[in-house]
Amino acid sequence: MKNEKKTSEKTIRLLQSIAFASAMLAFVLCILISVNYFQVKSSDPLNSPVMKSLTEKYKSNPDDEQLKAEIRELDLLARKAFFTNKWQIRTGGYLLLFSVLIVIICLKSVELIMVKLPAVPDDKTDNFWNLRKINRKWVAYSGIFLVCISLLFAFLTHNKLGETLDLTAKAGSMTDSTQKNTNDNLATASSTVATDSTTQTGKDSTASIQTMDGFPTQQEINANSPAFRGPGSNGVVFQRGFPTSWNGSIGKNIKWKTAIPLPGYNSPVVWNDKIFLSGANATKREVYCFDLNTGKILWQTLVDKIPGSSATAPKVNGETGFAAPTLTADGRRVYAIFANGDLIAIDFEGKKVWAKNLGLPKNHYGHSSSLAMYRDLLIVQYDQSGNTNVMALAAKTGEQVWKTSRDVKISWSSPIIVNTGKQMEAMLVAEPFVISYNPATGKELWRINCISGEVGPSLAYADGVVFSVNDYSKLAAIKIGSPPQLLWESDEYMSDIPSPVATSKYLFLPTSYGMMICYDAKTGEKYWEKDFATPTYASPMLADGNVFQMDKKGVMHIFKTDKTYTSVNESPLGEGSVCTPAFANGKIIIRGDKNLYCIGK
Amino acid sequence: MKKSLALAFLVFLSAVQFLNSYGVQRFPKPEFESGYIQPETLLPNPRAEALALMDIAVLIISLSVVSWLVIKKRSRNGVFWMSLFALAYFGFYREGCICAIGSIQNVTLAFFDHSYLISISAIVFFVTPLVYTLFFGRTFCAAVCPFGAMQDLVAFSPQKLGSRLNTVLGIIPYIYLGLAVLYAATGTDFIICRYDPFVGIWRLNASFGMYMFGGLLLVTGIFIARPYCRFLCPYGVLLNWVSRFSRKHITITPSNCIQCRLCENSCPYDAIDMPVTVKNPEDKRTMGRKLIFITFLIPFLMLAGGWTGSRLHEPLASVNAKVKLAKQILNPVTDKNQAETFEIEAFKSAGKQQAQVFAEASEVLHEFYIGGWILGGFIGLVFGGLIVGRMITKHRTDYIPNKGTCFSCVRCVDYCPVKLP
Repeated sequence: MKNEKKTSEKTIRLLQSIAFASAMLAFVLCILISVNYFQVKSSDPLNSPVMKSLTEKYKSNPDDEQLKAEIRELDLLARKAFFTNKWQIRTGGYLLLFSVLIVIICLKSVELIMVKLPAVPDDKTDNFWNLRKINRKWVAYSGIFLVCISLLFAFLTHNKLGETLDLTAKAGSMTDSTQKNTNDNLATASSTVATDSTTQTGKDSTASIQTMDGFPTQQEINANSPAFRGPGSNGVVFQRGFPTSWNGSIGKNIKWKTAIPLPGYNSPVVWNDKIFLSGANATKREVYCFDLNTGKILWQTLVDKIPGSSATAPKVNGETGFAAPTLTADGRRVYAIFANGDLIAIDFEGKKVWAKNLGLPKNHYGHSSSLAMYRDLLIVQYDQSGNTNVMALAAKTGEQVWKTSRDVKISWSSPIIVNTGKQMEAMLVAEPFVISYNPATGKELWRINCISGEVGPSLAYADGVVFSVNDYSKLAAIKIGSPPQLLWESDEYMSDIPSPVATSKYLFLPTSYGMMICYDAKTGEKYWEKDFATPTYASPMLADGNVFQMDKKGVMHIFKTDKTYTSVNESPLGEGSVCTPAFANGKIIIRGDKNLYCIGK
Repeated sequence: MKKSLALAFLVFLSAVQFLNSYGVQRFPKPEFESGYIQPETLLPNPRAEALALMDIAVLIISLSVVSWLVIKKRSRNGVFWMSLFALAYFGFYREGCICAIGSIQNVTLAFFDHSYLISISAIVFFVTPLVYTLFFGRTFCAAVCPFGAMQDLVAFSPQKLGSRLNTVLGIIPYIYLGLAVLYAATGTDFIICRYDPFVGIWRLNASFGMYMFGGLLLVTGIFIARPYCRFLCPYGVLLNWVSRFSRKHITITPSNCIQCRLCENSCPYDAIDMPVTVKNPEDKRTMGRKLIFITFLIPFLMLAGGWTGSRLHEPLASVNAKVKLAKQILNPVTDKNQAETFEIEAFKSAGKQQAQVFAEASEVLHEFYIGGWILGGFIGLVFGGLIVGRMITKHRTDYIPNKGTCFSCVRCVDYCPVKLP
């Protein structure tokens, strides 16, 4: 009997030891598997820095057989390491399972050997009814807790998504045809600058209601070229697939060419299959609508009989003319402003919707600030001598929604409308400030003193940095915010007419005497400069990863947005041009000195 | 007659399966322009259908054997070995699929989405354990469910949790069941399968988080027996309800209870109801009044729960693919360094209208709004029911297994000194 007891005690001890050893093994395996798992998770064998640098080297030297072999070897090694790690995890898993099984078998065997005899428990007399009462209370407390947590969670996460979706769906169905045309383009939209009003509709149901009857979605805006320098007036095109080679003299890639009745330096704007621009002389002002596909003038609307419009023509510089500001369109109407302060809204059939005169501008070169749109507000920068202000008019009626006085000098630049990631901002530049406004209210958000002189170039924005430049002043990079910070500045090259364009990495600065300079956008380091040797008035546009810069002779200089200057092509229009081209629906619309051109593959 | 019926049933099953496999071949192959070479067409593995039928057979046989072991043989050892078999077959061999717990979702989806073709095995796995439970108690939990078997195996040192904790934690399965039904009904997700803690172990393939969850449950299971079954399992809720009406439930003693109290601490799941001999100190009138008050309170609790649930419809719906896509379209990526999501890429390449996406998402949100009301109302009802249940108690003199929560594991039987001859 004693011997039996001893044997069973020995067996129990042995089993317990095995169980303990297996449990330890399981524990160690657990740690090893976890470490291995995180290694596998964090490793990206085909994108390692060594592999990347070798690949880069290989790109510049594709005939290097040794380099090729080295890359292959490294690739194989990286793959082997990755899959070995995976194999280790799986094998470790099996071992872990096995060791846990041993633990269980041992402990179960111990249970079998060490039979616990049933025993009568201690005489604890819980008051059954009291316990039930307490349980009821606990159920009630749990319920209250659950409701509170749920409501708190609902409150913290509720963002009227349902209402927004309903309204946006309705609004969307109204513009389905537009969306259909634009979806393909949007699919590859390059988004260097984010301007998104739909983000806001997600947060603001009132805005959504307006979407239904008043203004286009950001997708629609990005799929068109609705203003000077494209969506947001920032020089960035959100579509892809534009031609880089054409020749106006021999008609290569020229879809059509149509004479423009009256002169003007405004750039074309495009909405779906309609192109809008204006022309004017001292006595006559007109708005034109061209068919994008045929070049036919669909309608031309005479801008006259506007109450308050001055009978005498304003004094303008020959390089500004009577129709310098670019129009803007919102899919419902097109809006135009002229050198005499006439402002008109015309529907897409050419019918005048509303018109008003803002007063004869006191401006020694002639008014040239282009119009901009924010939702259903028409933003007008009207920096005139002794009366500098920016205002927003209701797009539908022309009624003034807000007007903000500006303590700046007279200017010829245009507003840009950008989404900074936190909010939409309208940024304007005039001596001595770059000022940002809330486009919905006109409230000033921030300002920075960084510019002087008669400011002509507009701002460029990318990745939280806005760039201002003016001749005889300086080039400044400003990190936006309240307060804004001057990141860097330079006074080597400056522009007096064309505006710069920026990506998160690079700033491209054109000068009116034909230079193009590329800077590091964040540090101001100059990467390269290129002399096109021809004066340039048009602003550069960024599309398809290329910069398109038109010179006064009508030659489009196309080069890569890169650290080194890489020319893609130089395509002549066969006619001089001072206007910034418009990019939409795979076509480039260029206003030459006399004709309007459509370039397409 | 019975044979003919059985034969007819089998013919029907085979016909349904044949039609299913025929349906797979209906559509022509897509044509790719990218030079992609179409792989050879593979016919459905005939063994897969046989396996499904085998699963059904194994389930029915296992349930029958376990029920016989529990009710007739009262054999703990038998139940233990059967649970090992269930773990090996339904767990490691069939890798946790198909399982009765997850079948709730298949049945729900089939109920709400008529285009969803539910498999015969899913229906059988959902219904059969409930039918057996109606006759024999939760014998499915005892030794047929691989989840239970897995946890039962590691319950080395089970501790008593106390009635308070048991009550409060016992609410979770109801919420989980409600959520699982809501997500399945709206076609959003099968959350029971997505958050299955043990399937990763059986397949040796899961996310790190799920491994951790499974491991944690097993470690917890050493001290708190069957934590998943007791405090998470949504199918357990249904089994609990049905088991209360079971015709032949296991008893601790095969004859009369001799009040020896040896079995009092035998249940690792706190599923033994003690004798209630002390009279309720509250007089009948007070208790009656309270009961009436609570009974009338139930509709209010349901309403409050429903309203709360409806407030939660947006966060609940945010995991739905359609809602997710609509949100991503409404709030596009503004950081150019951040890649677009696959959903957005797919949407763009599909050429679908935004308005359609928004309308679909809006519809899903509406479904969640209604579902939120129903889910909240259900949870309100559960709370009301739990309170009422803790007011009504039948006087009893014996130690008996709680028909609802007892897993029929037969442990308590071994503690009873009264044996059948």
